[in-house]
Amino acid sequence: MHFIGLIQNETLKLLRRRRFAIVVAIMFVIMLLVSYSQYRQLRDLKNQNWRAELQERIARTENRLRRGRVNESWARSMRAEVRRLQFYLDRGINPEQPTAPLVVRTFANAAGFLLLPLLIAVLGSDIVSAENAEGTDKLLLTRPVRRWKILTAKLVTLWLFASLTLFVGAVVSYLVTAPVLPAHGWDAPTFNGFQFSGDAFRVDAVRQLPLWQDALIAYGLEWYALLTVASIALMLSVIFKSSAASIGTMLASLIGGTILTRISPDWTAGKYLFVSALPLPDYYTGQAPPYEGMSMTFCILLLGAWAIGALTVAYGLFTKRDVFG
Amino acid sequence: MEALAAKHLSKVIGDRTIVDDVSFDLRPGEVFGFLGPNGAGKTTTIRMLVGLIKPTRGTVTVCGYDLRRNFEKALRCIGCIVENPDLYRFMSGRENLEHFSRMLSVPRSEIERVAELVNLAHRLDQRVGTYSLGMRQRLGIAQAMLGQPRVLILDEPANGLDPAGIREIRELLRGLAAERGMAVFVSSHLLAEIELTADRVAIIHKGRILRSGTVRELISSNRVMELRVGDVERASSILREKEVAFTTQDDLLLTAIDEADAPPLIAALAGSGVGVFHARPRVQSLEEMFLEATGGETVD
Repeated sequence: MHFIGLIQNETLKLLRRRRFAIVVAIMFVIMLLVSYSQYRQLRDLKNQNWRAELQERIARTENRLRRGRVNESWARSMRAEVRRLQFYLDRGINPEQPTAPLVVRTFANAAGFLLLPLLIAVLGSDIVSAENAEGTDKLLLTRPVRRWKILTAKLVTLWLFASLTLFVGAVVSYLVTAPVLPAHGWDAPTFNGFQFSGDAFRVDAVRQLPLWQDALIAYGLEWYALLTVASIALMLSVIFKSSAASIGTMLASLIGGTILTRISPDWTAGKYLFVSALPLPDYYTGQAPPYEGMSMTFCILLLGAWAIGALTVAYGLFTKRDVFG
Repeated sequence: MEALAAKHLSKVIGDRTIVDDVSFDLRPGEVFGFLGPNGAGKTTTIRMLVGLIKPTRGTVTVCGYDLRRNFEKALRCIGCIVENPDLYRFMSGRENLEHFSRMLSVPRSEIERVAELVNLAHRLDQRVGTYSLGMRQRLGIAQAMLGQPRVLILDEPANGLDPAGIREIRELLRGLAAERGMAVFVSSHLLAEIELTADRVAIIHKGRILRSGTVRELISSNRVMELRVGDVERASSILREKEVAFTTQDDLLLTAIDEADAPPLIAALAGSGVGVFHARPRVQSLEEMFLEATGGETVD
């Protein structure tokens, strides 16, 4: 009862700061643009031979590979892409046929890669540091509530809003695209589990699932990744005293880390960065992780370890430290 | 039983001792003044009283509960404002009070009660960002009164208020102590303010308590009588005859004597025809008191 009141407080503050409104507005605008581009694609597609189109894409990618001017990480994912497209071609499925459910499904991958983590960072990176900057921490921490309870209320609220952001993202992407694209197709077949060990591409592990089931799995993985992002954001908001510093550090590590994992695949220690494991839905769909030896289990465990580490630091600091002016 | 007891509080950071062996207690029904210049360790002491800073040594007991071991029970006994009355500016006054009443699990009727108490009921639904400093100070006190605490701790409550506002707060605090039996702790760097508000006072300087006692004791022990006379020469010789220590300042004679000794001295001077224009107490400034207490030479 008491604890629900604390969560109510944190929710109220988060909403009153208008952060969530901004997050929803950003997703809405982006999905409007996506919807328009998909609509144009649909229009173009009607006058096109998609088989020829797909064959051309495969050929184009293979040519780039043959020229050999891409680094190993890119080459790996390009080879995977070629095989994936070939797989669809062999079975007579057009992977580009846009539908509203497909956009919803793709949102988990496309937004999960960087957009959603950024939005969560905007939402939560100052949940503690803002209190510090505005001086309200002195009141918050002199009420008869132990500090670990206050931090837990903030963490739970952040997790709730991370979940809500993902959910609203899915709903918005459906609502915005449904009027202009085919709104049905939740049970269209999807193919996942493209695997490649070294250079051998294996299709024996490929699973065929109806789209809705596939989407649930992708969203589940993205949800898990976002909870990790929220936990790290909480830690940074405890470490830094100013909102700008905590949000800035969070954004820099997300963007910087993503760039780093893409451009230097030979620095193998990079696979222990949390950003390497963040695009879980991509890896589930069959995209190659940036480093060798990153199985799905490895990624999930890595994110879990980061979350636990971040929370340990956050709780340790927050419950023990002296609050000066 | 005392409402709050601080025993041998010290705070050492690195090799700097910010608060050094500070002890005092707060009794129900009194206003306790905590006086000291900026940087004397007032705020650090207050932060230790309310659990924001962990003391290096010493204990704080509130309503019989040890602050360290019984944090929640001890703090339920305290309402406080530490430094500025910083509340959530992006929320209304009512939302702020609701926020803190949820942390205390007190009923909503409390909000109306404390808003009435500080005369803020009519502006409660406006955003705190639009409030003046005086209104925020009052909202801060309203917040501190939620849940009817037995101890009220206010850090520089007069800061930024106009004279009318200061007076209003002073009367409110005196009323809370006298009528509700609350123990009120007020810090200030202004002696005059403490003199008017507090019953007892402790003076802190460089982290140590220099003096403590009732305000009357402290003030009268540091009172200087100022005499303006027509003939300074003759008045001086009369004072020397009576073996009263004094200093001169233009046509003023300054002498530190007990209040009881003042009437015969004034009568003697008036009788000798030196022409006494006025005789009035001059309260030593806080600065002077510090200089004296810290072993520096007295001014004048």
